[in-house]
Amino acid sequence: MENILLKDNVADLESYFASGGYKPLKKALALNPARIVEEVKKSNLRGRGGAGFPTGLKWSFIPQHAGCLRYVVCNADEGEPGTFKDREIIRKNPHALIEGMAIAGFAIGANHGYIYIRGEFSAEAVLLETAIAAARAKGFIGKNILGSGFNFELFVHRGAGAYICGEETALLESLEGFKGQPRLKPPFPAVKGLFASPTVINNVETLAAVPAIVEKGGDWYASIGRGKSAGTKLFCVSGPVKKPGVYELPLGTALGDLLEKSCGGMKEGRRLKAVIPGGSSTPVLTAEEARDVKLDYESLAAAGSMLGSGAVIVIDESQCMVDLLRVLARFYHHESCGQCTPCREGCGWIEKILNRLEEGKGSPGDIDTLYSVAEGMISRTICPLADAMAMPVMSFVKKFRGEFEAHAAGKTCALRTALAGKSEAEPGSAI
Amino acid sequence: MPTIKIDGRTIEVTKGTTLLEAAQKLGIYIPRYCYHPKLSISGNCRMCLVEIENAPKLATACSTEAAEGMSVFTGTDKVKTARRDMLEFLLINHPLDCPICDQAGECGLQDYYMKYSLQKSRFRQEEKVRRQKRRAVGPHLVLDNERCILCTRCVRFCAEVTKTSELEVMQRSDHSYIDLKEGKALDNNYSLNIADICPVGAFTSRDFRFKQRVWFLKKTSTVCLGCATGCRMTAHHNENTIYRLVPLPNSQTNTWLCDHGRMTYKAVQAGDRLSKGVIKNGLIDLEPALREAATRIDEAKSEAAVLGSPWLSVEDNAALARLAISALKTVNFCFEFSSGQGIKDGILVNEDPAPNTAGAGLLKAAHGGVSLEELSGRIASGRIKVLVTEARAAGLVKTALKTSGCRLIVFAQNRSEIPAGAYATLPYASYFETPGTFINYQGLRRRTNPAVRPADGVKPLWNVVNKLAAYSGTSLGLDSAENALKDIKL
Repeated sequence: MENILLKDNVADLESYFASGGYKPLKKALALNPARIVEEVKKSNLRGRGGAGFPTGLKWSFIPQHAGCLRYVVCNADEGEPGTFKDREIIRKNPHALIEGMAIAGFAIGANHGYIYIRGEFSAEAVLLETAIAAARAKGFIGKNILGSGFNFELFVHRGAGAYICGEETALLESLEGFKGQPRLKPPFPAVKGLFASPTVINNVETLAAVPAIVEKGGDWYASIGRGKSAGTKLFCVSGPVKKPGVYELPLGTALGDLLEKSCGGMKEGRRLKAVIPGGSSTPVLTAEEARDVKLDYESLAAAGSMLGSGAVIVIDESQCMVDLLRVLARFYHHESCGQCTPCREGCGWIEKILNRLEEGKGSPGDIDTLYSVAEGMISRTICPLADAMAMPVMSFVKKFRGEFEAHAAGKTCALRTALAGKSEAEPGSAI
Repeated sequence: MPTIKIDGRTIEVTKGTTLLEAAQKLGIYIPRYCYHPKLSISGNCRMCLVEIENAPKLATACSTEAAEGMSVFTGTDKVKTARRDMLEFLLINHPLDCPICDQAGECGLQDYYMKYSLQKSRFRQEEKVRRQKRRAVGPHLVLDNERCILCTRCVRFCAEVTKTSELEVMQRSDHSYIDLKEGKALDNNYSLNIADICPVGAFTSRDFRFKQRVWFLKKTSTVCLGCATGCRMTAHHNENTIYRLVPLPNSQTNTWLCDHGRMTYKAVQAGDRLSKGVIKNGLIDLEPALREAATRIDEAKSEAAVLGSPWLSVEDNAALARLAISALKTVNFCFEFSSGQGIKDGILVNEDPAPNTAGAGLLKAAHGGVSLEELSGRIASGRIKVLVTEARAAGLVKTALKTSGCRLIVFAQNRSEIPAGAYATLPYASYFETPGTFINYQGLRRRTNPAVRPADGVKPLWNVVNKLAAYSGTSLGLDSAENALKDIKL
């Protein structure tokens, strides 16, 4: 099928416009805002940042009484390890995002939008600034858009490098100039978000899908995909496959098809061991589990994992699960905001246990401790960062316990020894 | 008005009541570190997690508002496990230096560990995160970041109560630590409250550190006499020595106590505390001092005057009034003091630095007397030969006294209080040593309770007045503080 988000030759305004761009905006501005929210609801579009919350429903939570400021915020703080889809949209199709935000702004009655972009994406930030300036010059952004009387200003705000700012309320704190730390919920951003005003926060991929939904209708979008998982999704495949990269596929596509058909299968001589299907924080699947699973919200949940951000991390037999987990733990330990007790203390503890297992200083008891530390963290914190650490730990230990035991007993990493000297298979290279 | 169930017990609460508050009303205690009733909700310590029926996750009781029909459980296995896990997390990077920690005995970590954990550590000592220790962050506080559990009560206190925002959490993850903002010192007048609200030994009082193990301390509730606000407080003392003063929270005046108020106990056990009389500059025993003072009073007869004091209790002012009326038979007495009243810093400190301006006024109401201006005038014009008053009150007529040739007989507790040129000084017991009634700026009547005993021979002021009257030939019959009050309507 035809791609909705990842298109070639639409990066600049002229070609975007020539291919029908900003027509949906014009169409939307002629509609009743509530109609647009209804259409998005009907499309079954769900949050592409990882949580999969129905987008139309989120928009409908915004209070509509007069005299209150409202905001649309785009979460472009793409930081989940293994994820590189939003950057691709910004590079290839920035106007879809800009147009989507203007439509969202009109739908909820917001006159201001912010794109909070990951600090490391400096080139993409410039690219967005340029695209917004071009859209403003043509009257798609700014005052009295296309003569409709609707004003919408859009700003790009660069993050400063904290993973936690991808969490929506931490993002808002950071956007307001504070230290990026998640807020207690409730109140949810729809009630009290940016500058204490009702705010919609959507992922880049979510907002970029909005113009097509307005243009072709919610029913059309809902017909793509599988069941409640409607539309297309960008999958970021990394690891030892022949053609890693970003692929736009309908939700419900089999993981096996993604790896075999889109990515051309495993590299020569590599055998699939495991797949992390939705970004580093989602539970790992064994090769067995990965074989038949479909890539949609429900199927992955049934398989004990999550669709997440759609970052498919492929792990082959040459990679050491303990070392991989250690790399993840180092990341989450570094990125925990330090607010909640279990996450602040647990992430570091997990990294320390994994370090000693990997260095051959562990003991068999360490494995149970590791698992129970993760159990102690899960579902007990303000934001899901603790879960993002705990879920891989629990799934790695559960599904690859043998490797952990070998480390604890053998006092060394067998794989690492076996691979010593083979530069291509540096442990941890998958992430 | 949602009705909820907590551990099977039903309670109706006002909208907006949190589960923690509702449980408290039922007498169910939910452990907490970051929650403080007078600070904003932070929800970071995760100690107060409770189970809500049909909710997939445990919820923080401090931040979850009661909703109609909610059924909450505070003692299920899931909750108990969560508490044990939180304590384990909090303790892994804690230095466990309880033997040398001043907080020991009143430490949230110790208490909760005993109550909710009792689990052996699974953490390797050598892997603990190290942080900065023993750093003086202001005139009254020392900060040990290794003991800190990052509950941020201190940060919120400075941001919300004093609004001075000296503190913040630096860094993130387990290398987070509390630090002063650039260019700031923790020198606000309420800083010692931070040592109180810090649930662990991270912030300790520089004044109190290493002076006494807290379990030896006895507690006496009393009133702060640092200003007219009259905060309730508790004196912590042992073996006749006061070690610290802490607030006794109440809805009428105070949750906190200012640093100035907390240091008021220092004078009681200061090196210059008077236990004998002073004539001119020479220390002499109390009895000869009293005789000498009485002689001078007798000489002056009705040209003697008595000035009450807003720093003295109602009882002691009453004794002075009796001295003026019954013994000296003079019309030259004054119990009328005026000062701006009201909180001047938006928190506790009163415009009136004296604790009992209102209480002294009761004597004026009962006995009349002259105004302070009138008395000053009479002193300045040389019509007063002897003035009996309290040391700080003498300061109110300082200029008049200077050139008048009036002999000053003062009651003082410390040598440093004695006004220049005082003829005789008589010691008296502090209100940490004797009960006294004080009336604060709101008209609230509060009584001090003795926490320590005065030195041998040091008596309450009313008692000294009784003796002074006796030496000048009149029996006032003051045998108790209550007796002094008999013609005062409190």
